[in-house]
Amino acid sequence: MAKVIPRPQLSFWENIYFVEIFKGLSTTWGHAQKNLIKGDFPTRNYPDELPDLPRDYRARHRLMKRPDGTPRCVACFMCSTACPARCINIVAEESTRLDIEKRPAKFEIDLLLCVFCGFCVEACPCDAIRMDTTLGVMVADNRAEFVLTKEKLMDWAPADYPATDTQSQKAPGGSLHAQALVDFNSGNKH
Amino acid sequence: MFDWILANPYAVAGLLLPIVIPLVVFQILPLLVLIERRGAAFIQDRAGPNRAYIYIPVIGVKLRAFGMIYNATDAVKLLFKENFIPPFVHKGWYLFAPGIPVITGLLGLALIPWFSPMLYAAGAAGDSVGRLSGQMIEANSGILMLFAIGSLGVYGVVLGSWASNSKYSLLGGMRASAMMISYEVSMGLSVMGMLLLVGSLSLTDIVEWQGQHTWGIVVQPIGFLLFLVSMFAECNRNPFDVAEGESELVAGFHTEFNGVKFMTFMTAEYLHVIAASILLATVYLGGYQLLPMPLPLDGFNAPWVDLDSMWLKEHLGIVFALMLAGGGAGLLGFAYLLTGRRRIYQNNAANDVLNAERSKEYSLYIVAFSLLGLGLLAGAGASALLMDTKATATAIGSTIIFPGWVNALTAFVQFNILIAKALLFCWLFVWVRWTLPRFRYDQIMALGWKVMLNIALVNLLATAVIAKLVR
Repeated sequence: MAKVIPRPQLSFWENIYFVEIFKGLSTTWGHAQKNLIKGDFPTRNYPDELPDLPRDYRARHRLMKRPDGTPRCVACFMCSTACPARCINIVAEESTRLDIEKRPAKFEIDLLLCVFCGFCVEACPCDAIRMDTTLGVMVADNRAEFVLTKEKLMDWAPADYPATDTQSQKAPGGSLHAQALVDFNSGNKH
Repeated sequence: MFDWILANPYAVAGLLLPIVIPLVVFQILPLLVLIERRGAAFIQDRAGPNRAYIYIPVIGVKLRAFGMIYNATDAVKLLFKENFIPPFVHKGWYLFAPGIPVITGLLGLALIPWFSPMLYAAGAAGDSVGRLSGQMIEANSGILMLFAIGSLGVYGVVLGSWASNSKYSLLGGMRASAMMISYEVSMGLSVMGMLLLVGSLSLTDIVEWQGQHTWGIVVQPIGFLLFLVSMFAECNRNPFDVAEGESELVAGFHTEFNGVKFMTFMTAEYLHVIAASILLATVYLGGYQLLPMPLPLDGFNAPWVDLDSMWLKEHLGIVFALMLAGGGAGLLGFAYLLTGRRRIYQNNAANDVLNAERSKEYSLYIVAFSLLGLGLLAGAGASALLMDTKATATAIGSTIIFPGWVNALTAFVQFNILIAKALLFCWLFVWVRWTLPRFRYDQIMALGWKVMLNIALVNLLATAVIAKLVR
């Protein structure tokens, strides 16, 4: 049973179009004078004013750090296996610590290949990779700069992350770092 | 030679008019482009183009001039683009066509009365009265010649579209020519009511009549509306821009044009908008007249041809002061508006460098506009207090003659009045463009032939009957 939707019937004044012109003009005038005088646009001056991205926005990646500043990554290749875009390139090496088996000699993410799906974050067994930097804007002059190295991925400060984010605060410079370093050096926790 | 110039300043002024006026009117063009772009943005709740800047090294300010720099960047871009000519076009006509609308748009300016005719003491003994017209060409055919020149502009569009040898261009050109023919009829008939009342085709006479009686928009409101709509159609502006019609015809008549040729077409479009605005202001908004009513003269009781401009010359000090004060107040208001803008930028800027940069730029604007506004206000005060033109008047026979500087200053004031009125219409063109959707082609034809032509005829008939009864 098809539903018949009647065509909206225009009234006489709408049909002669003349009055509607002035209605439309008054609408556009309202917008124009509001924006001219107040200047507070609903749109954003994009590169001048950056958007406030939420923490759970899948933004640029970062590598989490242990209290001694080494990457938390154990080079298990789970993330690069989960990656549908194959943008994560890891080279593993033997760790110097006895309680940790492997560490990444090289950890590269090619942002030009990355699809920002967040699978790497979900795949990581030890919370080593996160996408909570809120860096939604990635600009570079050449392709090589779009490849994030391990150093770039670890270049973040705990001060930029909320106090409730305990894992970030345990890294060097964080508010929980001193206690975490004691625990870490005792070898009980890493 | 130099002696001759000193001895005949009015003749020299008459020779300079055709050079100075087009140059001044051309300066409205970038302003109109700015109004169009930023106006469109404000209507659509956007900020509009505001990023191109000129770096001023000494004070270290990135001057963006409210988006005005985009005019320069666009011109540079279009000028230095490859001058590509498609292989299938007729080269000669294709290159010639964009120039035609520019020429016709500029030629129309020659027939506009920019100021009231100057009367001056001439002859060896200084006992005869000379007259310098505000029109460059003082033809009796006046407005008819203006219409003739104005409608020649469509030849550029048609020629360009035909020479492009492309079906989209050709359709656009055909639409433009058909629309021109349709709306020329109602345009001519709508202005006919005004001509009946004035009893002359000369544009100077039309403006003088409005000075003696009242503005055309008061006596001919329907004629004004019809003329306005016809002007939109003549300029190929929304909602009548089917010749361009990018939703159907790629880009209409300028599909095959690029670079500097495209820029010439665009210049012509804006030039036509300016010319149409000036014509509308001249015929229906009193041209260079200050007020929509004749003003009492206290000094003289001769039957003046031109009451409004005579009053203006008598009270030039006050009027000039009001003009300067209006400009000064406007600039100060704008500076105040900019303080709000600076605050918004400071609240929203992404980083401190940007914040400092923008604050500096806006501070420069605010200081500059405030100083300029205060300067104009001071000039207004000085003009109101010091300028006494009534005492300078002398009589030759029954004609009152004012000295040259009063005539020149009056011409300046009247030119500004006319441009201010024309800018109102320029804004109306932009405002309507970003409000109304484009009409369908058959709707335009129906509106032109079935509605506007009939209203124009009835208006003409009613005006004729009433004019006959009143006289």
